[in-house]
Amino acid sequence: MKLKSLLSLLAAVALTGTALAKDIELLNVSYDPTRELYVDYNAAFAKYWQAKTGDTVTVKQSHGGSGKQARSVIDGLQADVVTLALAADVDALYENAKLLPKDWQKRLPNNSAPYTSTIVFLVRKGNPQNIKDWDDLVKSGVTIVTPNPKTSGGARWNYLAAWGYALKKYGGDDKAKEFVGKLYKNVPVLDSGARGATTTFVQRGIGDVAISWENEAYLAVKEFGADKFEIVVPSVSILAEPTVSVVDKVVKKKGTEAVAKAYLDYLYSDAGQEIAARNFYRPRNAGILAKYSANFAKLDLFTIDDVFGGWTKAQKTHFADGGIFDEIYLKK
Amino acid sequence: MRILPSAVRTALTTAITLVGLTASSLPAQTASQDDLNALREQIRQLDQKLRILERSQEIKDETAAADAKKQAKVTFTDKGLTFASGDGANYLKLHGLVQADSRSFFGGKNGPNNNDAFLIRRARLIFEGGFAKNYEYLIVPEFGGASGNGTLTLLDAYINVNLKPEFQVRAGRFREPVGLEQLQSDAVAFFAERSLVSQFVPNRDIGVQLWGDLLDGTLGYAIGAFDGVPDGTSNASNTDINNEKNYAARLFAQPFKNNKDSALAGLGFGVAGSIGKENNNAGALTSGYKTDGQQTWFAYNAATVANGSVSRVSPQAFYYNGPFGLLTEYVLSSVEVRNGATKRQLQNDAWQIAAGYVLTGEDAGYKGVTPATNFSLVDGTWGAFEVVARVASASIDKGAFTGAAAVADLTKSAEEATAYGVGLNWYLSKTVRASFDYFNTDFKLPASAALAGTPVVAHQENAFVARLQLSF
Repeated sequence: MKLKSLLSLLAAVALTGTALAKDIELLNVSYDPTRELYVDYNAAFAKYWQAKTGDTVTVKQSHGGSGKQARSVIDGLQADVVTLALAADVDALYENAKLLPKDWQKRLPNNSAPYTSTIVFLVRKGNPQNIKDWDDLVKSGVTIVTPNPKTSGGARWNYLAAWGYALKKYGGDDKAKEFVGKLYKNVPVLDSGARGATTTFVQRGIGDVAISWENEAYLAVKEFGADKFEIVVPSVSILAEPTVSVVDKVVKKKGTEAVAKAYLDYLYSDAGQEIAARNFYRPRNAGILAKYSANFAKLDLFTIDDVFGGWTKAQKTHFADGGIFDEIYLKK
Repeated sequence: MRILPSAVRTALTTAITLVGLTASSLPAQTASQDDLNALREQIRQLDQKLRILERSQEIKDETAAADAKKQAKVTFTDKGLTFASGDGANYLKLHGLVQADSRSFFGGKNGPNNNDAFLIRRARLIFEGGFAKNYEYLIVPEFGGASGNGTLTLLDAYINVNLKPEFQVRAGRFREPVGLEQLQSDAVAFFAERSLVSQFVPNRDIGVQLWGDLLDGTLGYAIGAFDGVPDGTSNASNTDINNEKNYAARLFAQPFKNNKDSALAGLGFGVAGSIGKENNNAGALTSGYKTDGQQTWFAYNAATVANGSVSRVSPQAFYYNGPFGLLTEYVLSSVEVRNGATKRQLQNDAWQIAAGYVLTGEDAGYKGVTPATNFSLVDGTWGAFEVVARVASASIDKGAFTGAAAVADLTKSAEEATAYGVGLNWYLSKTVRASFDYFNTDFKLPASAALAGTPVVAHQENAFVARLQLSF
């Protein structure tokens, strides 16, 4: 047998193996509060994909603090897609391991953020500390629950929402720093992720108020009862844009590029947007947003680009080692 | 849930209790509503402090546990010494194999019974490792056997790209995928020495192989290209002796493997083969087929060269069920040879059936026996005992012994060899095994035999091989 024939045979064996592979498995590495969203979404996508291609796709989920999750992917966790809390954590996959291209955010509509959310307050029924806005959080005696911005994407949105409020109300970075410093003096414990913080507040009974993703707050009220918790919407908050991307290096290696891309595209479909809205994420589709408008309070929302000059700058200034958060929290 | 240090917990609980008792013991008429509210607030604050302290401790513990997972790990068990990164993706395992043998021959008349010896049959350090989960390697230097005279042989050295169990690529020096017994680890075979059959299949060679396990691991396949080695030998030169390549392939099914309750769960069967070409190479022929006692019973004439196609085909099977094990294979080895004007296409073949039974009840298996206990005089435990038996036979094409210039060495070659073996394996622990094997081999000489000196084949070979082995 000539070498050419052998190579042809090897190729045929390889191709046959590929052609028979009807069961596909994806890993979606996501942040803490999206568990319920992606349970619903994965089932819908699997149905859609089977109808379209005949293939069975199983999507495994991994959840944790967004920063921690990004670190795991950089360290080798074989994520086909990441659906993280913020763009900076996806950027880290490029900066640290070149797992995807630098311009990953331009590949999908809305800067690769298929749904948005914002930051609100979750308080105990009756709102015993009478918390109405950000200023009430810095009062003496108020205990706040929020996760650690070093490991949690939601925590960074919380921090920046408070900063943006203070900047707008009191003017100047010094005033904002002082305000956020006071706020963190009232934070006795930092969980590593948003879901852990919710558990600390809701199930452990710690704190007077939890600064929370809007979707997470709604979920807590739905799960644990409107007779126990209330949502307080502040006057001003931040437009949180969780972002998604295919992890190019992984999908090329696993041969799952097409299905991983379709998985994210489907988030923008009407079905995907409906699922997001049902799970208390603000859909991008205006019609579907209007349909679920009762779930989403109207408030003054600022963007990270407007107030902080984008994630790269905000990350470096506030959350990098030796940044403002370290100054504030270590001083405490 | 990690509990707070008891002193802290006791102090806080006592404080809360005292405050509570104080509140409840106050006469209703003397305690104002403000006093009660103040006490309630005090209790609430203390309760919060307690909860926060507990949660802080939990987070510290969680962080410590997560950090511990990232730390490199070193473990030392009866499977060797392992260094692994925290996530297990990068690792190095150090294994070892030492076989100290005693080989005795008796019962022959004029045979070369001067081969009685103590010897180090194998002495290996085995470096097995991997990077990023998918990239594996094995490096095995051999200090014993033929290299026991102070030289060192590189036995295995390969890189395996394990993309998924179904699709793996291995390159380097390793066993060609042909012989069932040859592919089994030396340390776990029924007998101390492989059978006559393994003399007719290639051993370690240098090449590249695509392989994997399909259908939930029930169908193994391997196909590869190699430099090409003679029957029963390994590539010793780290190069090829000509430009021609050998191609080997194997399919092996274990259809009931995943049905653990089935009586056929331990059934495996398949077929393997190799094909290649050699041009006037004496080095492409075996230097000699050996008996169980490792003595040569067939050799080619020194002037004979391989000259044409070389191929082997081998149907093979094993069956393991509880303490019982059986392994059988057949090989047909074809080679075109020439000695001057005499050209022959030889069809040599061999077969064997070997069986074992673990007297102490442990499961037998292709990967060996794991004793339930260690041999210990203090504990009164004996380890595991296994009895084994084997019949094997090999025959050389009659054409090797005819012609103007026979291609066989007529002074020391037989036409057929039939070997019977019985043995006892004593597993003193998971790492130490003692084996005691007796082999009897009969030879059938060709009509043209012209024996000279005191060749092995002149009489039956009766060999006793005892071994003490350490394998981890």
